[in-house]
Amino acid sequence: MSIVKEFTKGLWKEIPPFRLVLGLCPTLAVTKSMENGIGMGLATTFVLVFSNILVSVLRNIIPSKVRIACYIVVIATFVVIVELLMQAYTYPLYQRLGIFIPLIVVNCIVLGRAEAFAGKNTVFASAADGLGIGIGFTISLSVLGAVRELLGNGTILNINVMGPSYKPFAFVVSAPGAFVCLGLLLCLMNIVGDLKK
Amino acid sequence: MRDIVRMVVVLSLICGVSGGLLAGVRIGTKERIEYQELAYVKGPAIRDVLQGCSNNPIQDRFKIKHGDTEISFFPGKFDGKLNVVAFETTGKGFGGEIGIMMAVSLVDDKVVAIDITTHKETPGVGSRAKDDPAFKGSFKGLSVDDPFKIKSEGGKIDAVSGATISSKGIAAGVAEGAKLYKELKPYILKKIKART
Amino acid sequence: MTDYLLMVISAIFVNNILLARYLGNCPFLGVSKKMDTAVGMGMAVIFVLTMAGVVTWFVEMYFLRQSGLVYLRTIVFILVIASLVQFVEIFLKKSIPALYAGLGIFLPLITTNCAVLGVAIINVQKDFNFMQALIFSVASATGFSMALVLFAGLRERMALSRVPGPLEGTAIGLITAGLMSLAFLGFLGMA
Repeated sequence: MSIVKEFTKGLWKEIPPFRLVLGLCPTLAVTKSMENGIGMGLATTFVLVFSNILVSVLRNIIPSKVRIACYIVVIATFVVIVELLMQAYTYPLYQRLGIFIPLIVVNCIVLGRAEAFAGKNTVFASAADGLGIGIGFTISLSVLGAVRELLGNGTILNINVMGPSYKPFAFVVSAPGAFVCLGLLLCLMNIVGDLKK
Repeated sequence: MRDIVRMVVVLSLICGVSGGLLAGVRIGTKERIEYQELAYVKGPAIRDVLQGCSNNPIQDRFKIKHGDTEISFFPGKFDGKLNVVAFETTGKGFGGEIGIMMAVSLVDDKVVAIDITTHKETPGVGSRAKDDPAFKGSFKGLSVDDPFKIKSEGGKIDAVSGATISSKGIAAGVAEGAKLYKELKPYILKKIKART
Repeated sequence: MTDYLLMVISAIFVNNILLARYLGNCPFLGVSKKMDTAVGMGMAVIFVLTMAGVVTWFVEMYFLRQSGLVYLRTIVFILVIASLVQFVEIFLKKSIPALYAGLGIFLPLITTNCAVLGVAIINVQKDFNFMQALIFSVASATGFSMALVLFAGLRERMALSRVPGPLEGTAIGLITAGLMSLAFLGFLGMA
């Protein structure tokens, strides 16, 4: 039962980057389109799940003084694996996400989960936690990506939905637009959260 | 003291396992990554210079050692025979190196086509050399023994107006490529013979 | 010479690392509530980013590229940066305690600041030479600190005004950052 809870908390209660304000750089940078958002989310999920599992397995062996260094090595290993796999199988996406793939290593969500959760909990709970937070992050990035792509380009997943007469709102896909969109989406979530109470 | 030993042991152990794992994944994906990089970065230029070939030149590629470096060759099949090879060469432009993909016919040693793969030329000036069909077309049919000089220097190549430095750089790059081709032709023929 | 000057202007204003390249946003929103902490963080970032940019450049050029291990770049760079931060911390504590008192608490946070790793990777991806790498690192770090300090000034003012409930905290911070980024977009015409 508790494993289900560990999983579902990532989907609303602690959904990053809204509730857990971490990992903003990739959130802002890669959400010009929904496809990029999903790609980045899944890459981060992969790293989160496997680093959480490994950190949890090793939690009794790692001396607490060097634990952060150990976590970083574990995380960086999986980031390099993702980099290699994406180069081999989804090269165009790898090119579009560019520098933000290696930067998963410094995404505070990943190190944060290793430190706050996986270092203290069992393997299954840690895997569920990683998967939940990862999927939550993927959902956030896809939603933000979808909104920005729809308004800024008139398309969703490269399919035109606004019709030919739609004039793209270019501000939304620019850098300032990224900040403003994320801020407004966060505001919207706060309103929904208040209504639920 | 025991703590420090344990710290060092655990850290080195984790690093060792990580290194081994990564080396494994690297070996497993190396072939595919190389293919994907060629297909997406150089692919368009290769398809352009080998227009109309009936094989997949990237799949059929082979490498030949030249000094310290290995050069990739992409054979193109025309009329049922691998009789054109494409390869990359570089010239020096205004903003830095210009990557040039050139295709040469193995039958009569003439340049079939050239295309630009990468460049750092000034947008709108030197960069026009990339898209100017007349400029690129003037290399077509020149023998590899040609000096590859632009018209103002007594050669046969139409320079892109306003982008003389880029044009000269590309011509020099092609000349370099032609030299390489002449040097390696016996090896190229040997490799292609082994293919068929 | 003009190339370097253009690079500095571009890195500080036109392609500001925070507002246009989206790197280092966690500390940007995290430590910008007070002016003092923002200044401290800014100084620490200038210090570490410059050193990290130079050291990783040497590691890439003289080790990774020579031995064909470029695919390990991410893991090697983050380890270099983490050890560098650790080293700087110990060094400052021992020899310049006054500076350590000011920057100390920010140093551990810098390891996971993506601006540091980001600049290190951009340096080698763009094949910068040593001078370019050094200047780009210093200029990016300066741009980061400037944006951070300006933003902290805005947030100090904002703390005094009434913000609608759902927008409180991070939401209004993000929108303010967006407006600031919009202002920086005006520098685009310069380059």
